[in-house]
Amino acid sequence: MKILTVAEMAIREMVRRRAVLALLLALPLAFYLVRRGDQVGQSIRFLLIGLAWAVSTAALFASGTSRPIEPRLRLSGYASHHLYLGRLAAMWLLGIVVAAPFFALVAIDHGDQVRLGAVALAMLFAVTVAAPFGLLIGALVPRELEGTLLLLVVVGLQMMIDPADALTKVTPFWSSREIATYAVDHTGDEYLTRGLVHGLAFTILATAVVALLSTLRLRVRLRAATSA
Amino acid sequence: MDNDRWLWTLGQELARHQLGPDAVRHVVAEAAAHLRDSGQPALRAFGTPEGYAAAVAESLAARYGRPARPAPGRVRLSARGITKRYRRRTILRSVDLTVRAGEVAAVVGANGAGKSTFLRICAGLLTPDAGEVMLDGRLGYCPQDAGTYDFLLPDEQFVLIGAGRGLDRERSKQIGRAGAAALQWRPAAGVQTRHLSGGTRQKLNLVMASMGEPDVLLLDEPYQGFDRGTYLDFWQHVWRWRDEGRAVVVVTHLLSQLDQVDQVLDLTPASEGAAA
Repeated sequence: MKILTVAEMAIREMVRRRAVLALLLALPLAFYLVRRGDQVGQSIRFLLIGLAWAVSTAALFASGTSRPIEPRLRLSGYASHHLYLGRLAAMWLLGIVVAAPFFALVAIDHGDQVRLGAVALAMLFAVTVAAPFGLLIGALVPRELEGTLLLLVVVGLQMMIDPADALTKVTPFWSSREIATYAVDHTGDEYLTRGLVHGLAFTILATAVVALLSTLRLRVRLRAATSA
Repeated sequence: MDNDRWLWTLGQELARHQLGPDAVRHVVAEAAAHLRDSGQPALRAFGTPEGYAAAVAESLAARYGRPARPAPGRVRLSARGITKRYRRRTILRSVDLTVRAGEVAAVVGANGAGKSTFLRICAGLLTPDAGEVMLDGRLGYCPQDAGTYDFLLPDEQFVLIGAGRGLDRERSKQIGRAGAAALQWRPAAGVQTRHLSGGTRQKLNLVMASMGEPDVLLLDEPYQGFDRGTYLDFWQHVWRWRDEGRAVVVVTHLLSQLDQVDQVLDLTPASEGAAA
Protein backbone atom coordinates (compact mmCIF):
# COMPACT_ATOMS: atom_id res chain seq x y z
CA MET A 1 0.00 0.00 0.00
CA LYS A 2 2.70 2.49 0.99
CA ILE A 3 4.88 1.50 -1.97
CA LEU A 4 1.91 1.95 -4.30
CA THR A 5 1.14 5.39 -2.87
CA VAL A 6 4.74 6.52 -3.34
CA ALA A 7 4.69 5.12 -6.90
CA GLU A 8 1.40 6.84 -7.68
CA MET A 9 2.61 10.22 -6.46
CA ALA A 10 5.92 9.87 -8.29
CA ILE A 11 4.03 9.18 -11.53
CA ARG A 12 1.67 12.09 -10.93
CA GLU A 13 4.66 14.36 -10.30
CA MET A 14 6.30 13.24 -13.51
CA VAL A 15 3.34 13.25 -15.90
CA ARG A 16 2.41 16.81 -14.91
CA ARG A 17 5.75 17.98 -16.26
CA ARG A 18 4.58 17.98 -19.85
CA ALA A 19 7.81 19.32 -21.28
CA VAL A 20 9.66 16.50 -19.56
CA LEU A 21 7.30 13.95 -21.06
CA ALA A 22 7.78 15.43 -24.52
CA LEU A 23 11.56 15.28 -24.13
CA LEU A 24 11.36 11.72 -22.81
CA LEU A 25 9.73 10.79 -26.11
CA ALA A 26 11.88 13.09 -28.24
CA LEU A 27 15.21 11.66 -27.14
CA PRO A 28 14.75 8.05 -28.33
CA LEU A 29 12.90 9.27 -31.41
CA ALA A 30 15.78 11.55 -32.40
CA PHE A 31 18.28 8.73 -31.88
CA TYR A 32 16.17 6.41 -33.99
CA LEU A 33 15.59 8.86 -36.84
CA VAL A 34 19.22 9.94 -37.01
CA ARG A 35 20.29 6.35 -37.75
CA ARG A 36 17.25 5.29 -39.73
CA GLY A 37 19.09 5.64 -43.04
CA ASP A 38 21.82 3.27 -41.81
CA GLN A 39 21.44 -0.40 -41.13
CA VAL A 40 18.32 -1.48 -39.27
CA GLY A 41 20.44 -2.71 -36.37
CA GLN A 42 22.07 0.65 -35.77
CA SER A 43 18.79 2.54 -35.65
CA ILE A 44 17.34 0.06 -33.15
CA ARG A 45 20.48 0.05 -31.00
CA PHE A 46 20.47 3.85 -30.91
CA LEU A 47 16.78 3.83 -30.11
CA LEU A 48 17.50 1.57 -27.14
CA ILE A 49 20.27 3.81 -25.88
CA GLY A 50 18.02 6.86 -26.26
CA LEU A 51 15.27 5.08 -24.35
CA ALA A 52 17.65 4.02 -21.58
CA TRP A 53 19.10 7.51 -21.37
CA ALA A 54 15.65 9.11 -21.17
CA VAL A 55 14.42 6.76 -18.43
CA SER A 56 17.61 6.97 -16.36
CA THR A 57 17.52 10.78 -16.59
CA ALA A 58 13.88 10.79 -15.44
CA ALA A 59 14.83 8.51 -12.54
CA LEU A 60 17.78 10.73 -11.66
CA PHE A 61 15.56 13.81 -11.50
CA ALA A 62 12.83 11.97 -9.59
CA SER A 63 15.49 11.02 -7.09
CA GLY A 64 16.67 14.64 -6.81
CA THR A 65 13.12 15.99 -6.43
CA SER A 66 12.35 13.57 -3.65
CA ARG A 67 15.59 13.86 -1.76
CA PRO A 68 14.60 16.85 0.42
CA ILE A 69 11.13 15.43 1.07
CA GLU A 70 12.08 11.88 1.96
CA PRO A 71 13.20 12.66 5.53
CA ARG A 72 9.71 13.98 6.28
CA LEU A 73 8.12 10.91 4.68
CA ARG A 74 10.43 8.69 6.67
CA LEU A 75 9.23 10.38 9.86
CA SER A 76 5.62 10.08 8.70
CA GLY A 77 5.60 6.31 8.82
CA TYR A 78 7.40 5.21 5.65
CA ALA A 79 10.34 2.82 5.75
CA SER A 80 13.16 3.61 3.36
CA HIS A 81 12.30 0.59 1.19
CA HIS A 82 8.79 1.98 0.65
CA LEU A 83 10.37 5.08 -0.82
CA TYR A 84 12.97 3.65 -3.20
CA LEU A 85 10.83 0.71 -4.32
CA GLY A 86 7.84 2.98 -4.94
CA ARG A 87 9.98 5.32 -7.02
CA LEU A 88 11.53 2.41 -8.90
CA ALA A 89 8.10 0.97 -9.72
CA ALA A 90 6.99 4.39 -10.98
CA MET A 91 10.01 4.74 -13.25
CA TRP A 92 9.54 1.24 -14.61
CA LEU A 93 5.92 1.96 -15.45
CA LEU A 94 6.79 5.31 -16.99
CA GLY A 95 9.56 3.66 -19.04
CA ILE A 96 7.23 0.99 -20.37
CA VAL A 97 4.68 3.62 -21.37
CA VAL A 98 7.40 5.61 -23.16
CA ALA A 99 8.76 2.46 -24.85
CA ALA A 100 5.40 1.26 -26.14
CA PRO A 101 5.04 3.71 -29.07
CA PHE A 102 8.63 3.03 -30.12
CA PHE A 103 7.94 -0.67 -30.24
CA ALA A 104 5.00 0.08 -32.50
CA LEU A 105 7.26 2.26 -34.64
CA VAL A 106 9.86 -0.52 -35.05
CA ALA A 107 7.12 -3.04 -35.76
CA ILE A 108 5.74 -0.86 -38.55
CA ASP A 109 9.12 0.20 -39.87
CA HIS A 110 11.08 -3.05 -39.68
CA GLY A 111 8.65 -5.67 -38.46
CA ASP A 112 9.48 -8.05 -41.29
CA GLN A 113 13.27 -7.86 -40.74
CA VAL A 114 13.71 -8.38 -36.99
CA ARG A 115 12.60 -10.68 -34.20
CA LEU A 116 9.90 -8.44 -32.77
CA GLY A 117 9.57 -10.37 -29.50
CA ALA A 118 13.27 -9.90 -28.84
CA VAL A 119 13.03 -6.19 -29.71
CA ALA A 120 10.30 -5.89 -27.07
CA LEU A 121 12.53 -7.74 -24.61
CA ALA A 122 15.46 -5.45 -25.40
CA MET A 123 13.27 -2.41 -24.76
CA LEU A 124 11.99 -3.95 -21.56
CA PHE A 125 15.54 -4.52 -20.38
CA ALA A 126 16.63 -1.03 -21.40
CA VAL A 127 13.88 0.30 -19.12
CA THR A 128 14.49 -2.30 -16.38
CA VAL A 129 18.16 -1.38 -16.10
CA ALA A 130 17.80 2.35 -16.70
CA ALA A 131 15.41 3.05 -13.82
CA PRO A 132 17.60 1.71 -10.98
CA PHE A 133 20.69 3.08 -12.73
CA GLY A 134 19.22 6.61 -12.68
CA LEU A 135 18.24 6.19 -9.02
CA LEU A 136 21.74 4.91 -8.29
CA ILE A 137 23.37 8.00 -9.79
CA GLY A 138 20.89 10.14 -7.86
CA ALA A 139 21.88 8.36 -4.65
CA LEU A 140 25.61 8.60 -5.32
CA VAL A 141 25.68 12.18 -6.64
CA PRO A 142 23.09 14.30 -4.85
CA ARG A 143 23.52 17.40 -7.01
CA GLU A 144 21.53 17.20 -10.24
CA LEU A 145 24.05 18.88 -12.53
CA GLU A 146 26.85 16.55 -11.48
CA GLY A 147 24.49 13.59 -11.77
CA THR A 148 23.40 14.62 -15.25
CA LEU A 149 27.00 14.99 -16.38
CA LEU A 150 27.92 11.62 -14.93
CA LEU A 151 25.02 10.05 -16.78
CA LEU A 152 26.19 11.77 -19.96
CA VAL A 153 29.68 10.30 -19.50
CA VAL A 154 28.28 6.79 -19.06
CA VAL A 155 25.90 7.00 -22.02
CA GLY A 156 28.54 8.64 -24.20
CA LEU A 157 30.95 5.83 -23.33
CA GLN A 158 28.26 3.29 -24.09
CA MET A 159 27.71 4.81 -27.54
CA MET A 160 31.31 5.25 -28.54
CA ILE A 161 33.01 2.20 -27.13
CA ASP A 162 34.14 -0.51 -29.55
CA PRO A 163 31.66 -3.40 -29.15
CA ALA A 164 34.60 -5.83 -29.22
CA ASP A 165 36.24 -4.11 -26.22
CA ALA A 166 35.99 -6.11 -22.99
CA LEU A 167 35.06 -2.87 -21.19
CA THR A 168 31.71 -2.85 -22.93
CA LYS A 169 30.50 -5.66 -20.66
CA VAL A 170 30.62 -3.42 -17.60
CA THR A 171 28.57 -0.66 -19.18
CA PRO A 172 25.02 -0.59 -17.83
CA PHE A 173 23.08 -0.99 -21.04
CA TRP A 174 25.14 -3.78 -22.59
CA SER A 175 22.27 -6.18 -21.91
CA SER A 176 19.85 -4.47 -24.28
CA ARG A 177 22.58 -4.21 -26.91
CA GLU A 178 23.14 -7.98 -26.77
CA ILE A 179 19.43 -8.72 -26.93
CA ALA A 180 19.11 -6.26 -29.82
CA THR A 181 21.88 -8.10 -31.68
CA TYR A 182 19.91 -11.31 -31.20
CA ALA A 183 16.78 -9.55 -32.46
CA VAL A 184 18.26 -7.78 -35.45
CA ASP A 185 21.13 -9.97 -36.64
CA HIS A 186 19.33 -13.26 -35.95
CA THR A 187 22.28 -14.60 -33.96
CA GLY A 188 22.24 -17.66 -31.73
CA ASP A 189 20.62 -17.85 -28.28
CA GLU A 190 23.87 -17.07 -26.48
CA TYR A 191 23.39 -13.34 -27.17
CA LEU A 192 19.94 -13.47 -25.66
CA THR A 193 21.10 -15.40 -22.61
CA ARG A 194 24.09 -13.09 -22.01
CA GLY A 195 21.87 -10.06 -22.32
CA LEU A 196 19.25 -11.39 -19.91
CA VAL A 197 21.82 -12.42 -17.29
CA HIS A 198 23.69 -9.12 -17.54
CA GLY A 199 20.50 -7.08 -17.35
CA LEU A 200 19.15 -8.95 -14.35
CA ALA A 201 22.49 -8.87 -12.53
CA PHE A 202 22.94 -5.15 -13.16
CA THR A 203 19.36 -4.38 -12.06
CA ILE A 204 19.76 -6.36 -8.85
CA LEU A 205 23.14 -4.83 -8.10
CA ALA A 206 22.03 -1.24 -8.79
CA THR A 207 18.86 -1.72 -6.72
CA ALA A 208 20.85 -3.21 -3.86
CA VAL A 209 23.25 -0.26 -3.78
CA VAL A 210 20.31 2.19 -3.93
CA ALA A 211 18.71 0.29 -1.05
CA LEU A 212 21.90 0.43 1.00
CA LEU A 213 22.49 4.14 0.40
CA SER A 214 18.84 5.06 1.04
CA THR A 215 18.69 3.05 4.23
CA LEU A 216 21.87 4.69 5.50
CA ARG A 217 20.81 8.20 4.54
CA LEU A 218 17.29 7.88 5.91
CA ARG A 219 18.02 6.03 9.11
CA VAL A 220 16.34 7.59 12.14
CA ARG A 221 18.90 8.24 14.86
CA LEU A 222 16.57 8.28 17.86
CA ARG A 223 16.40 6.14 20.93
CA ALA A 224 12.85 5.09 21.68
CA ALA A 225 11.84 5.55 25.29
CA THR A 226 11.27 2.40 27.28
CA SER A 227 7.76 2.10 28.64
CA ALA A 228 7.36 3.06 32.26
CA MET B 1 -16.11 47.98 7.77
CA ASP B 2 -19.79 47.72 8.81
CA ASN B 3 -20.78 46.80 12.36
CA ASP B 4 -21.66 43.18 11.59
CA ARG B 5 -18.29 42.60 9.96
CA TRP B 6 -16.60 44.36 12.87
CA LEU B 7 -18.37 42.15 15.41
CA TRP B 8 -17.51 38.98 13.46
CA THR B 9 -13.84 40.01 13.34
CA LEU B 10 -13.93 40.79 17.05
CA GLY B 11 -15.15 37.25 17.75
CA GLN B 12 -12.31 35.77 15.68
CA GLU B 13 -9.72 37.92 17.40
CA LEU B 14 -11.02 37.07 20.88
CA ALA B 15 -10.79 33.38 20.06
CA ARG B 16 -7.22 33.92 18.94
CA HIS B 17 -6.52 35.40 22.36
CA GLN B 18 -7.61 32.09 23.88
CA LEU B 19 -10.93 33.30 25.29
CA GLY B 20 -13.46 30.50 25.67
CA PRO B 21 -16.64 30.39 23.54
CA ASP B 22 -18.84 31.69 26.39
CA ALA B 23 -16.57 34.65 27.04
CA VAL B 24 -16.41 35.44 23.32
CA ARG B 25 -20.20 35.36 23.01
CA HIS B 26 -20.56 37.56 26.07
CA VAL B 27 -18.06 40.21 24.91
CA VAL B 28 -19.49 40.30 21.37
CA ALA B 29 -23.05 40.59 22.71
CA GLU B 30 -22.06 43.46 24.99
CA ALA B 31 -20.33 45.27 22.16
CA ALA B 32 -23.33 44.72 19.88
CA ALA B 33 -25.70 46.09 22.53
CA HIS B 34 -23.53 49.16 22.99
CA LEU B 35 -23.42 49.80 19.23
CA ARG B 36 -27.19 49.39 18.98
CA ASP B 37 -27.87 51.78 21.87
CA SER B 38 -25.34 54.41 20.83
CA GLY B 39 -25.94 54.20 17.10
CA GLN B 40 -22.23 54.75 16.54
CA PRO B 41 -20.13 52.97 13.94
CA ALA B 42 -18.04 50.29 15.61
CA LEU B 43 -14.71 51.67 14.47
CA ARG B 44 -15.44 55.02 16.11
CA ALA B 45 -16.83 53.47 19.31
CA PHE B 46 -14.19 50.81 19.92
CA GLY B 47 -11.36 51.28 17.41
CA THR B 48 -10.12 48.29 15.41
CA PRO B 49 -11.48 44.86 16.39
CA GLU B 50 -7.89 43.60 16.76
CA GLY B 51 -7.01 46.38 19.21
CA TYR B 52 -10.22 46.03 21.17
CA ALA B 53 -9.87 42.25 21.42
CA ALA B 54 -6.30 42.61 22.67
CA ALA B 55 -7.41 45.12 25.30
CA VAL B 56 -10.29 42.91 26.46
CA ALA B 57 -8.05 39.84 26.62
CA GLU B 58 -5.43 41.71 28.61
CA SER B 59 -8.05 43.08 30.99
CA LEU B 60 -9.57 39.64 31.58
CA ALA B 61 -6.16 38.04 32.06
CA ALA B 62 -5.25 40.71 34.63
CA ARG B 63 -8.52 40.18 36.49
CA TYR B 64 -8.86 36.40 36.41
CA GLY B 65 -5.45 35.15 35.42
CA ARG B 66 -4.93 32.70 32.58
CA PRO B 67 -7.20 29.68 32.44
CA ALA B 68 -5.97 26.62 34.32
CA ARG B 69 -4.09 24.10 32.23
CA PRO B 70 -3.65 20.40 32.76
CA ALA B 71 -0.35 19.54 34.46
CA PRO B 72 2.44 18.45 32.10
CA GLY B 73 2.63 14.70 31.59
CA ARG B 74 5.49 12.31 30.99
CA VAL B 75 8.67 13.21 29.19
CA ARG B 76 8.11 12.93 25.43
CA LEU B 77 11.38 14.30 24.12
CA SER B 78 14.70 14.39 25.88
CA ALA B 79 17.87 15.70 24.23
CA ARG B 80 20.97 15.43 26.39
CA GLY B 81 24.41 16.90 25.81
CA ILE B 82 23.85 17.53 22.10
CA THR B 83 27.01 18.71 20.39
CA LYS B 84 27.35 19.24 16.67
CA ARG B 85 30.34 20.43 14.71
CA TYR B 86 30.64 21.28 11.03
CA ARG B 87 34.29 20.98 10.10
CA ARG B 88 36.05 22.84 12.90
CA ARG B 89 33.13 25.05 13.87
CA THR B 90 31.06 23.95 16.83
CA ILE B 91 27.40 24.77 16.09
CA LEU B 92 25.86 23.24 19.19
CA ARG B 93 27.71 22.67 22.43
CA SER B 94 26.23 20.31 24.98
CA VAL B 95 22.62 21.42 24.52
CA ASP B 96 19.89 19.92 26.70
CA LEU B 97 16.14 20.03 26.20
CA THR B 98 13.40 18.07 27.91
CA VAL B 99 9.79 18.50 26.78
CA ARG B 100 6.87 16.84 28.52
CA ALA B 101 3.42 16.04 27.21
CA GLY B 102 1.39 19.25 27.39
CA GLU B 103 4.35 21.59 27.12
CA VAL B 104 5.55 24.04 24.48
CA ALA B 105 9.24 24.77 24.08
CA ALA B 106 10.56 27.58 21.89
CA VAL B 107 14.02 27.31 20.37
CA VAL B 108 15.45 30.74 19.67
CA GLY B 109 18.78 32.12 18.58
CA ALA B 110 20.49 34.27 16.00
CA ASN B 111 20.83 33.24 12.36
CA GLY B 112 23.31 30.39 12.16
CA ALA B 113 22.97 29.54 15.84
CA GLY B 114 21.99 25.99 14.95
CA LYS B 115 18.22 26.09 15.57
CA SER B 116 17.29 24.02 12.52
CA THR B 117 20.26 21.72 13.07
CA PHE B 118 19.11 21.10 16.61
CA LEU B 119 15.58 20.36 15.46
CA ARG B 120 16.85 17.94 12.81
CA ILE B 121 18.86 16.18 15.49
CA CYS B 122 15.75 16.01 17.70
CA ALA B 123 13.87 14.52 14.72
CA GLY B 124 16.60 11.89 14.31
CA LEU B 125 17.57 13.14 10.87
CA LEU B 126 21.08 14.20 11.84
CA THR B 127 23.59 12.42 14.00
CA PRO B 128 25.06 14.59 16.76
CA ASP B 129 28.79 14.41 17.44
CA ALA B 130 27.93 13.87 21.09
CA GLY B 131 24.76 13.42 23.08
CA GLU B 132 21.57 11.47 22.65
CA VAL B 133 17.92 12.07 21.83
CA MET B 134 15.18 9.98 23.39
CA LEU B 135 11.67 10.05 21.94
CA ASP B 136 8.50 8.67 23.46
CA GLY B 137 5.63 8.52 20.98
CA ARG B 138 4.87 9.45 17.41
CA LEU B 139 6.69 12.32 15.79
CA GLY B 140 5.37 15.07 13.52
CA TYR B 141 7.98 17.20 11.77
CA CYS B 142 7.49 20.44 9.87
CA PRO B 143 10.67 21.41 8.02
CA GLN B 144 11.49 25.04 7.37
CA ASP B 145 11.10 24.54 3.62
CA ALA B 146 11.20 21.89 0.89
CA GLY B 147 8.71 19.65 2.61
CA THR B 148 6.28 19.34 -0.29
CA TYR B 149 6.20 18.16 -3.90
CA ASP B 150 5.76 21.04 -6.38
CA PHE B 151 3.56 19.24 -8.88
CA LEU B 152 1.16 17.51 -6.49
CA LEU B 153 -2.20 18.90 -5.38
CA PRO B 154 -2.67 19.60 -1.66
CA ASP B 155 -5.11 16.67 -1.45
CA GLU B 156 -2.44 14.39 -2.90
CA GLN B 157 0.10 15.61 -0.36
CA PHE B 158 -2.44 14.77 2.38
CA VAL B 159 -2.95 11.29 0.88
CA LEU B 160 0.81 10.74 0.72
CA ILE B 161 1.37 11.64 4.37
CA GLY B 162 -1.83 9.87 5.42
CA ALA B 163 -0.75 6.59 3.80
CA GLY B 164 2.44 6.70 5.84
CA ARG B 165 0.33 7.18 8.96
CA GLY B 166 -1.90 4.25 8.02
CA LEU B 167 -4.90 6.37 6.98
CA ASP B 168 -7.00 5.68 3.91
CA ARG B 169 -7.33 8.23 1.13
CA GLU B 170 -10.66 9.76 2.11
CA ARG B 171 -9.74 10.06 5.77
CA SER B 172 -6.42 11.65 4.83
CA LYS B 173 -8.15 14.23 2.68
CA GLN B 174 -10.72 14.94 5.39
CA ILE B 175 -8.05 15.49 8.03
CA GLY B 176 -5.93 17.58 5.69
CA ARG B 177 -8.83 19.79 4.61
CA ALA B 178 -9.97 20.25 8.20
CA GLY B 179 -6.46 21.30 9.19
CA ALA B 180 -6.34 23.70 6.25
CA ALA B 181 -9.71 25.21 7.17
CA ALA B 182 -8.49 25.80 10.71
CA LEU B 183 -5.73 27.94 9.21
CA GLN B 184 -8.25 29.92 7.12
CA TRP B 185 -7.31 28.11 3.93
CA ARG B 186 -9.56 26.19 1.58
CA PRO B 187 -7.45 24.39 -1.03
CA ALA B 188 -8.80 25.16 -4.50
CA ALA B 189 -9.42 22.17 -6.73
CA GLY B 190 -6.73 21.50 -9.31
CA VAL B 191 -4.16 23.99 -7.99
CA GLN B 192 -0.74 22.43 -7.73
CA THR B 193 1.50 23.19 -4.80
CA ARG B 194 3.96 25.14 -6.94
CA HIS B 195 1.21 27.69 -7.62
CA LEU B 196 0.50 28.35 -3.93
CA SER B 197 1.84 31.49 -2.27
CA GLY B 198 4.68 31.12 0.21
CA GLY B 199 2.38 31.52 3.19
CA THR B 200 -0.18 29.04 1.88
CA ARG B 201 2.57 26.57 1.17
CA GLN B 202 3.67 26.88 4.77
CA LYS B 203 0.10 26.18 5.87
CA LEU B 204 0.21 23.01 3.80
CA ASN B 205 3.54 22.15 5.38
CA LEU B 206 2.09 22.65 8.84
CA VAL B 207 -1.07 20.66 8.15
CA MET B 208 1.02 17.76 6.86
CA ALA B 209 3.15 17.80 10.01
CA SER B 210 0.13 17.60 12.28
CA MET B 211 -1.58 14.70 10.46
CA GLY B 212 -1.85 11.40 12.26
CA GLU B 213 -2.05 12.87 15.77
CA PRO B 214 1.64 12.97 16.61
CA ASP B 215 2.65 13.01 20.28
CA VAL B 216 5.62 15.27 19.61
CA LEU B 217 5.54 18.12 17.09
CA LEU B 218 8.77 19.65 15.88
CA LEU B 219 8.06 22.86 13.96
CA ASP B 220 10.85 24.75 12.22
CA GLU B 221 9.68 28.35 11.76
CA PRO B 222 6.43 27.14 10.29
CA TYR B 223 4.76 30.53 10.04
CA GLN B 224 6.99 32.17 7.41
CA GLY B 225 4.79 34.09 5.01
CA PHE B 226 1.74 33.95 7.27
CA ASP B 227 -0.32 37.12 7.55
CA ARG B 228 -1.03 38.42 11.01
CA GLY B 229 -4.34 36.61 11.45
CA THR B 230 -2.91 33.27 10.38
CA TYR B 231 0.11 33.80 12.60
CA LEU B 232 -2.20 34.22 15.56
CA ASP B 233 -4.20 31.19 14.43
CA PHE B 234 -0.97 29.22 14.32
CA TRP B 235 -0.28 29.98 17.97
CA GLN B 236 -3.87 29.03 18.76
CA HIS B 237 -3.07 25.64 17.26
CA VAL B 238 0.11 25.35 19.25
CA TRP B 239 -1.78 25.98 22.44
CA ARG B 240 -4.53 23.58 21.47
CA TRP B 241 -2.00 20.87 20.73
CA ARG B 242 -0.39 21.56 24.08
CA ASP B 243 -3.74 21.35 25.87
CA GLU B 244 -4.43 18.04 24.11
CA GLY B 245 -1.29 16.69 25.77
CA ARG B 246 1.18 16.96 22.91
CA ALA B 247 4.74 18.11 23.31
CA VAL B 248 5.51 20.95 20.91
CA VAL B 249 8.89 22.39 19.97
CA VAL B 250 8.85 25.54 17.85
CA VAL B 251 11.92 27.07 16.29
CA THR B 252 11.32 30.80 16.16
CA HIS B 253 13.06 34.12 15.90
CA LEU B 254 9.94 36.07 16.80
CA LEU B 255 9.95 36.85 20.48
CA SER B 256 6.42 38.19 20.89
CA GLN B 257 4.94 34.86 21.99
CA LEU B 258 7.75 33.70 24.26
CA ASP B 259 5.91 34.68 27.43
CA GLN B 260 3.28 32.09 26.52
CA VAL B 261 5.52 29.08 26.08
CA ASP B 262 6.67 26.80 28.87
CA GLN B 263 10.36 27.04 28.21
CA VAL B 264 12.75 28.86 25.95
CA LEU B 265 15.97 27.31 24.70
CA ASP B 266 18.29 30.08 23.54
CA LEU B 267 21.00 28.77 21.24
CA THR B 268 22.74 32.12 20.81
CA PRO B 269 26.40 31.50 21.67
CA ALA B 270 27.34 32.93 25.09
CA SER B 271 29.77 35.50 23.64
CA GLU B 272 27.16 36.84 21.17
CA GLY B 273 24.45 36.80 23.82
CA ALA B 274 26.61 38.91 26.13
CA ALA B 275 27.44 41.34 23.36
CA ALA B 276 23.83 41.74 22.26
